[in-house]
Amino acid sequence: MRQRAIWSAVLVVGLALAGCGSASDSGKSTSSDGKLVVWDWKSGEPFAKSYLDKAKADFKKKHPDVEVEFVAQPFDQYYTLLGAAIQSGKGPDVMLFNGGGQIRDRVDALVPLDDYVAEDKQRLAGWEAFAKDGKTYAAPVTLQGYPIYYNKAIYQKANLDPASPATTWDKFVADCAAIAKAGSKCFALGNKEGVGIQFWLSSMGSTTLTAAEYDAWIAGKRDWNSANVKRLFQTWKETGDKKMNSDGANSTAMFNDSFALFQSGKAAHVMGLMSDVGHWQDFNEFLTPEKLGVMKAPIVTAGTTPTLPYDGGIGYAVAKWTKDPKVAADLARSLSSADALKAFYADAGAIAADTTIDVSQAGPAVATIVGELKTGKPALHVALSSKTLDLMGRLSQQLLSGSVTVDEVVKQLAASDQAG
Amino acid sequence: MPIGNTQPSVRPASAGRAGGAAVTPAAHRSGARPRRTRGGLGAERYAPYILVLPAVLIIVLLRLYPLLLGVNFSFTGDGEQNGTAVGFGNYRELFADPLFQTALSNVGLLVLLLPVAVAIPGLLATFIYLRVPGHRFYRSVYFFPAVLSPVIVGAIFNLLLAFDGPLNAVLGSFGVGPVDWLGDPDIAMFMVVGVHIWATFGMALVVFLAGFATLDAALLDAARVDGATLRQVVWHVIIPALSRTIQFVFVTTMIGMLTSMFGLLYIMTSGGPEGSTYLPEFYIWKQQGQMNRPALASAASTILFMIMLVVGLLQIKLLERSGKED
Repeated sequence: MRQRAIWSAVLVVGLALAGCGSASDSGKSTSSDGKLVVWDWKSGEPFAKSYLDKAKADFKKKHPDVEVEFVAQPFDQYYTLLGAAIQSGKGPDVMLFNGGGQIRDRVDALVPLDDYVAEDKQRLAGWEAFAKDGKTYAAPVTLQGYPIYYNKAIYQKANLDPASPATTWDKFVADCAAIAKAGSKCFALGNKEGVGIQFWLSSMGSTTLTAAEYDAWIAGKRDWNSANVKRLFQTWKETGDKKMNSDGANSTAMFNDSFALFQSGKAAHVMGLMSDVGHWQDFNEFLTPEKLGVMKAPIVTAGTTPTLPYDGGIGYAVAKWTKDPKVAADLARSLSSADALKAFYADAGAIAADTTIDVSQAGPAVATIVGELKTGKPALHVALSSKTLDLMGRLSQQLLSGSVTVDEVVKQLAASDQAG
Repeated sequence: MPIGNTQPSVRPASAGRAGGAAVTPAAHRSGARPRRTRGGLGAERYAPYILVLPAVLIIVLLRLYPLLLGVNFSFTGDGEQNGTAVGFGNYRELFADPLFQTALSNVGLLVLLLPVAVAIPGLLATFIYLRVPGHRFYRSVYFFPAVLSPVIVGAIFNLLLAFDGPLNAVLGSFGVGPVDWLGDPDIAMFMVVGVHIWATFGMALVVFLAGFATLDAALLDAARVDGATLRQVVWHVIIPALSRTIQFVFVTTMIGMLTSMFGLLYIMTSGGPEGSTYLPEFYIWKQQGQMNRPALASAASTILFMIMLVVGLLQIKLLERSGKED
């Protein structure tokens, strides 16, 4: 622990010095032969090498004189360090952000990119997560979404057709009974941190809420007393009551114990991610691409259409204090150029923001996910405040253990949502 | 009192306070007195204050001042209200928060479990002192967990106590159904406290053994000659003789429980299930780091500080009373 503290202190000081040095460098020189500094938490990883090489090559073509330096920061301190840089008004010219709250809280320090990235708008998806008040502040690199993965081998063992998983909730529950008979659990669930309910909410949202309710939820007008919102929590409780989840869900960590349960074939379904961890490439370590399926959410409320919930994952933004925003924006664009993103997709196993990338090599699961991006919508849980999410996590554990009613849950969540 | 010892000329100034002055040779004192009356009176009088000044400054600047800042901060708002005074708003919010109430009642639970946490190392140390077979082996083995970091201990017990883990497998072979040790809100807190006791009792054991080293063996022999049973020996000889040690272990164990369970909680339960294993410490971390509510967190810290203060003062009082009995 102490060793770690010392090292991180050394790192912080070193990086701070590097940051200061570069800021003064770019201050001295003109934009054409200057130097751009990029902060992120990915460039140190081996899988990012070819991605960065491609992005640098693309940028070199446009600005051969400008040098680019990538500084990898530790992720757990990234926003703390960035906050210090923003306070002092000098730091990296280009920086990586998570979509959603992380970038929206800091747009004061960023340059709106709408004028520079107009050409990319069509090619890339996930812009909304980096936008605030109609202005875009970062070029998306990856997408993060919550598909439902299933294990085709278990379907076969349970005499179910792996090619056509259930499309309605009732059929799905019946399938789960068959899967239970074949000796497997229906869901691999890790709800120790209370994150399981977040994935549930987003994965099942499109088929439980009507389209109007869904859009209102994202827009911030959430009617917690509506029958369909309650239904979201009732189906969650049902999975607990009918023993559809893996044992001890409330003491199982989602990252990565629940994903391990799915990978090792102990459960037939998991609500996973598209990028970073708990996703198709992770699973492929034990589940071959042919065995891994991605299904649409089973329809709970008649008349709804399943859509894939996803948001922009990470993206590069340009700092206000950079010498020439045009050059920096070009670098951000190069970092989400087609070639670079293709390399990122291939090596890191992320679903890149570029929907034109050919993913047919990676197996049917990825093709299904990418195919659904066009109709996808923002995830429900991303719209909630961290306080409400924390409360929802605890209430979801109580729902599973049966110590609270659905009515009480929505009442508490409504109070927290309105207060926040 | 290093000042008194290293600087004999200053001693008279503090002689009234220092009990040690009574043993000083009279000649030494009389030698110092004329000098003091002759000259340099001011410098000598102020010397002790100047000498303790650095220590006082460090305590005031690095301890008390930040403490006051933190208390002051707890009366301001978070987020948009950052920096504006909100009176007791944070405290009202805290006491209305069921999660904080759970954290406080868990502190109460820890106080109730304290005798167990002290009795276990006490008993084991007694057995080692009474030279049960293999006592040398136990003496070293009992200390092992104390050198492990809470993170490692937590990870080990996460595996052992998992729903499909070895403990449930053993229970299953006896025909007992599996228990969700860390997923049942009625059990989880006891498991975490149990693991904490397991991980830290080695230290208390060493303290107890040190206490035993000062125990007069003749007392034990006398009791045995009089035909006392083991229970009578423990109750009438060992416990009274070790009362100071026992009280010391009580104080340190209480402090350990209140301030160093964070690592275990973080790894084993993350405050769950259903928020049942929250302790004030964990609550503070969560509000400050995850919820971005630093002012609310500092209000919770202030309350934790008050609890520690009350507990500490009570224990000091207990110690003083027992000191008088001796």
